[in-house]
Amino acid sequence: MSPRTAIDEAKKGSAEILILALVERRALHGYEIGRQIEDQSAGTLRFTLASLYATLYRMEDRGWLRSRWVEKPGQRRRCHYRITDEGRKILAAQRADWSRFIAALGLVAGVKPA
Amino acid sequence: MIDWRAVVIREARATGAADLDDHTVEELATHLEDLYQAARARGAVDAEARDEALRALRESRLAMLKESRPNLHRTRGLTRVSTWQSLRSGLRQFRTHRGFALLAVLVLGLGTGASAVVYTLVDGVVLRPLPYGEPDRLVSLWDTNVQRAVTHEPLSPVNFMDYRALPVFTDAAAWWRPDVNLTDPGLDPVRVRAIETGANLFEVLRVRPQIGPGFPVGGPHFSGDLIAVISDRLWRTRYGANPGVIGRPLVFSGASYTIVGVMPPRFDFPGEIDVWQRSRWDFHQHSRGAHFMEAVARLAPGVSAEQAATALTTLTARLEKDFPSTNRAWGTRLVPLLDEQLGYYRPALIVLFGAVGLLMVISCLNVASLLLTRALSREREMAVRTALGASPWHLVAQLLAEGTVLSLAGAAVGLVAATFALPVIVAHTPVPIPRLDEAAINTRVLGFIFASAMVTTLVFGLVPALATVRRTLTTDLKSGDRAVSRASRTLYHALVAGEVALAGALLVLSILLVRTVQQMTEVPTGVGNPAVTTASVQLSGRPATDWAGVAADHGAILDRLRQQPGVRRAGASNFLPLEAGWRGSFGIEGQPAARESEAPQAQHFSVSDGYFESIGARLVAGRTFTERDTATSTPVVVVNELFARRYLAAGQATTAVLTTRMTQVGPLGRNLAGGRFEVVGVVADVKNMPLGQANEPAVFFDARQFPFRTMFLTVEAADAPAALAALRETLRAVAPGIPLTDAQTWDQRFRARTAEPRMLMTVLLFFGVLAAILATLGVYGLFSWMVALRRRELAIRVTLGARPRTIGILVLRHGALLAAAGLAVGWILVRASEGALSRVLFSVSAGDVGALAAAGVLLLAACLGACVPAAIRAMRVSPVEGLRAE
Repeated sequence: MSPRTAIDEAKKGSAEILILALVERRALHGYEIGRQIEDQSAGTLRFTLASLYATLYRMEDRGWLRSRWVEKPGQRRRCHYRITDEGRKILAAQRADWSRFIAALGLVAGVKPA
Repeated sequence: MIDWRAVVIREARATGAADLDDHTVEELATHLEDLYQAARARGAVDAEARDEALRALRESRLAMLKESRPNLHRTRGLTRVSTWQSLRSGLRQFRTHRGFALLAVLVLGLGTGASAVVYTLVDGVVLRPLPYGEPDRLVSLWDTNVQRAVTHEPLSPVNFMDYRALPVFTDAAAWWRPDVNLTDPGLDPVRVRAIETGANLFEVLRVRPQIGPGFPVGGPHFSGDLIAVISDRLWRTRYGANPGVIGRPLVFSGASYTIVGVMPPRFDFPGEIDVWQRSRWDFHQHSRGAHFMEAVARLAPGVSAEQAATALTTLTARLEKDFPSTNRAWGTRLVPLLDEQLGYYRPALIVLFGAVGLLMVISCLNVASLLLTRALSREREMAVRTALGASPWHLVAQLLAEGTVLSLAGAAVGLVAATFALPVIVAHTPVPIPRLDEAAINTRVLGFIFASAMVTTLVFGLVPALATVRRTLTTDLKSGDRAVSRASRTLYHALVAGEVALAGALLVLSILLVRTVQQMTEVPTGVGNPAVTTASVQLSGRPATDWAGVAADHGAILDRLRQQPGVRRAGASNFLPLEAGWRGSFGIEGQPAARESEAPQAQHFSVSDGYFESIGARLVAGRTFTERDTATSTPVVVVNELFARRYLAAGQATTAVLTTRMTQVGPLGRNLAGGRFEVVGVVADVKNMPLGQANEPAVFFDARQFPFRTMFLTVEAADAPAALAALRETLRAVAPGIPLTDAQTWDQRFRARTAEPRMLMTVLLFFGVLAAILATLGVYGLFSWMVALRRRELAIRVTLGARPRTIGILVLRHGALLAAAGLAVGWILVRASEGALSRVLFSVSAGDVGALAAAGVLLLAACLGACVPAAIRAMRVSPVEGLRAE
């Protein structure tokens, strides 16, 4: 397994917690979500359009997010995603899981947060 | 500017993800646009920025989106739209389209209000059970006679006692109606409605007096011990609701009765009765030929009305054999008591309910077609909603919500209107509908209104939804295609055609009622002087057998009346026209004597001199009565034309001698047995049967030779007030203890006879006109819309040489076709309800061609009128418009 593939696998598993964490404070549209993940991870985490939206739709389908079209004068309509109560529970649970996982990685493999 | 949507769709097609849904396409396009703008903001040139965005698109596997998105909507589409959101959105719709909403709510409110009022009446009058014990086991009994084609005749008391003994009845009670003058010492004399009844009446009905013991339970059926029960109404108005009235003696028409009970409030049986006297005579001791009793019976447990009817038929057949002289051709019929009490009103209210139902449906169709045109003009909005991720269900929910807002508002307006209209209608109804005053808006009525609101909601939501959803699924958002699908067009046509058809049915119905009233009014009554004033006078204080005294009293009244100022003619009769006299058998001297059992029968009247002249009856031969016909002069009779034609040979009209074998003519009559009467004249037939039934032969006796205590006075004076004043003055001078009752001109009496169909006619005409107006509006809307839609086609036709006239005719022909189709369906509707209609129509059948033609002309005129503005617009279409549009 190449180092690149390891990141890709981790991305798949972490996409949901990333998105939930981003929309936790305010509703965002798809482009903003993709942009912020890329910026805040300094380019390490990047989703393709299809995987980003596929994830969003899946999360909405599970009831973690709710989407709403917002229209502003002079702009295209944008679909905003906000977190639901169900989404907050999932976020809390995933945060706990990931903390345990990263702690375990640190203990066993000497991985440290950057 | 780059069309990112097109880019996405192209890419999706190229990568095997062709049918991405609109939501995804829109979202991806926005994302690409943002990427592009961000690149430009960083200083990239157009081509670089575009490449960067395209790269982001191409590295995506779009097919994975194809699977994720549809699931979302298939599983969550409905729940995603909260009811409340839809309702709010519906309200918002109507706030921005006030005129439309107001019109729709008013039309609906009208429909709902009218049907709520009629339903309330039907509920209160027809559906509510009678206030007696097990009322559905009670039946009325009536005699029928096949020879005379009568089906609603009173019974003979002797025959009644035989019916009563049948085991199919638990019990039966009979009564007759002697009007009595109530003359209590110290109180004004008053004429009250009374019946003399078998003592078991209240037991049969299972009703007890509110005060006092009532008639002794278990008998006797009749007694010389005079007791009476009075109504709550009389108790309150005359005796100040004094409980001490029990045991008090009351003087009814000269005889002293003891009050033994006061019936509960609103106990009105049979009709508005104030005094129930226990019979003082044995029902067995009378004639089987004298029909003057009414009866109610309670079916024995487990016995059906049909079984009882069969038992009665068997019995009457036996009676016919045993007593041929009195019972030949007589039979008996059962009528459920509620039907009997409601009479004309039951079928009338049911017809009215049907009519108001039609009106309601028309107003619904009207609003539905309004909503449909709006839905069609909102196709772009719907397309946008679909593009934004709304599923078909989402749109239906939205339209249903709008329908709910409309129908609830309509129902509320209708309910308020009904609440205000009902008391006004009840107070101003020109005819005495039984139990009407108890009709009130109750939970059943509210349920009815709510149910009709639910149905209208469904219609309103689903009709435009069907048209719109089907359409938006195939509409390209950007196409700007203004053509309207064939299905929507058909739907719109069907809605308007439905309105026209129902309006057609209502118009035919109302015209049938107009014809009914017309036919009734045109029936010849033989009364040539409709302005004659009539009033009833009942002498009291003399026994019925003192016929010389009774005759003298009436003579004095008439003499005095004729001296009053303004009085031209005056007379008296014991029955007014349209009422049957006492029926009895007779013989004619010189003709072979018929056996007693086969003697011919005729109605017997007692009239004074001046009677025929005052009502304007035409003398055909001989003379009428004069002052010279007295109790001591030669006994004489006048006969009607039918009698003369049927029983007298030519030239015998003024020479025949009539013999009568009647031993008793009614309870108050003089004994005529053995009398010989010379026929001195023939008068033209004066209607002596209710409207719709054939006249019978009649013999008129002179009131001095055959006196009755109760007589109707007939006065022809300068005008009705003068006649009334003369009547009052006369009674005051000659008979101060006798009340004057029921003073009306003949015209008023006759109008009262036709008041019921007249009222039904008025209401139906109102509904018919309303329906026609609604349908006309619908037609107008349809044609305006059609012409607007077809402007280009019409312009091209004009370019190709079509003349404006041809185009105008095209539109009008279309309108005429719609009217004709509507009328045909309407007529089928009317024919289908012929059974219910026949009970409210008179001398007119539901298939009456005249009514159909009249309704057709009206409907055609209205439809064509509604098409004219559209036709004119179509004719003015300029050929240039055909080019301008592209």
